[in-house]
Amino acid sequence: MPGRPAPLPMLPIDRYAWSNRWSGHHPGERILLVGGLLLLAVILPPLSTAPLVLIVMTAATVLSAGVPLAAFLRTLAIPAGFLLAGLPFLAMSLDFSAGPRLAFSADGARVALDVGLRSLAAMSCLAGLALTTPVSELIPGLRRVGVPQPVVEIALLMYRLLFVVTGQAIAGRRAQEARLGYGSLRRSIRSLGVLAATLFGRSLARARRLEIGLAARGFEGELKVLTPPRVLSTTRMAAAGATLILVGATGLALGRFLP
Amino acid sequence: MHIMEGFLPPLHAAAWTAVSVPFLVIGARRIARISREQPRAKLLLASAGAFAFVLSALKIPSVTGSCSHPTGTGLGAVLFGPSVMAVLGAIVLLFQALLLAHGGLTTLGANIFSMAIVGPWVAYGCFRLARPLGLGVAVFFAAMLGNLATYLVTTGQLALAFPDPVSGFAGALTKFGGIFALTQIPLAVIEGLLTVVVVNLLVQYSRDDLNEVGFDRRSGLGPELGSAGRA
Repeated sequence: MPGRPAPLPMLPIDRYAWSNRWSGHHPGERILLVGGLLLLAVILPPLSTAPLVLIVMTAATVLSAGVPLAAFLRTLAIPAGFLLAGLPFLAMSLDFSAGPRLAFSADGARVALDVGLRSLAAMSCLAGLALTTPVSELIPGLRRVGVPQPVVEIALLMYRLLFVVTGQAIAGRRAQEARLGYGSLRRSIRSLGVLAATLFGRSLARARRLEIGLAARGFEGELKVLTPPRVLSTTRMAAAGATLILVGATGLALGRFLP
Repeated sequence: MHIMEGFLPPLHAAAWTAVSVPFLVIGARRIARISREQPRAKLLLASAGAFAFVLSALKIPSVTGSCSHPTGTGLGAVLFGPSVMAVLGAIVLLFQALLLAHGGLTTLGANIFSMAIVGPWVAYGCFRLARPLGLGVAVFFAAMLGNLATYLVTTGQLALAFPDPVSGFAGALTKFGGIFALTQIPLAVIEGLLTVVVVNLLVQYSRDDLNEVGFDRRSGLGPELGSAGRA
């Protein structure tokens, strides 16, 4: 497409993470809600709990945070597709006793059902967190769980740099494709190698330029950034806690009636 | 080769996280020490990490026409060393979960173990062992076997979590392994070839960059472009 500028390297998930109705809230609220639901989905019996988690998480992300349902489903679609493709293998058993024989197994099918539900519920939590919270607001929290400061700073810098590198990768790939660089397998390997080598060099060049820029501003080894002040809302924390208790209790209670 | 969110039973997820933590602690300490000695190392490592993230998102062509992604474990281990790679790989995996919904938070420990720990260490071991045979050969085996090791560990993790109802762990290993063996071996060879192309180009044109990340020490190439460079 001549004349069209390279697309802005923006990941769809990241776009919603910055622009939903929750983005002004303290990230701790979302971590409590999503982390709690994820934990419930993974440890409680899936048959009763997982559908609840899936419903609550979808409702919270779409109705409360205002992320479009289509975006939520698109985010879930790819991992859910892989999940569906993988589950049949859990439901089948391999018997060596009379030569290798693959057969349907009832026990395996039960495991597949449980795993499928648990995984789908957990994926909805991951999608909910990813679509409502920018990575740069989650990374500083790593400090709290004991990740050393330099590693946290590196992760933050990585988040900022990866969009730049992605933009270069997209532009480079497009230029190579325009020159039939991916016409055959042999050429594809060569082109991809050239692209990777170029990106490596450019990444390091960027690091050097950053260093010069920072040195000019008195860089002494610590990257100080301003994070917007956010107040933890008691109401929202209480609502999240109540949701967790409700989902957990209902899941456990329903679990008694299900096989 | 990512195990998806919620796929592993809670005990397995916790156990793999516990196995991965010591490697991450060692890597993080090393990074903390390097960045104390050289503040600029942080910028270098962050660029390296961003590069690793993008590398893992590039599609590699496959013989069957479908596309797949390189693990990048071989290239990362050879360029940056395996202990640093464990931490960078862990951050990349976290970003893949949070930005691409690829992999997951509960399965992060298991994925770190296969892709950021075993893959790079196997690749690095192969690189050092095969180094006397020539740079290209060493890089090829490092990338190919790093890729295969990653996939074997994932298979083992799945088989441990979901033993076959009839034939147990061995049956599950065959079952999960059989599915991927057909596609994975050609992909591993392609990743090997690709990594050789990348390293050859870097040795030829970007010697300074390689010196900066310490590749000259790890590969025994020496800081200047000499006869060894074409080996």
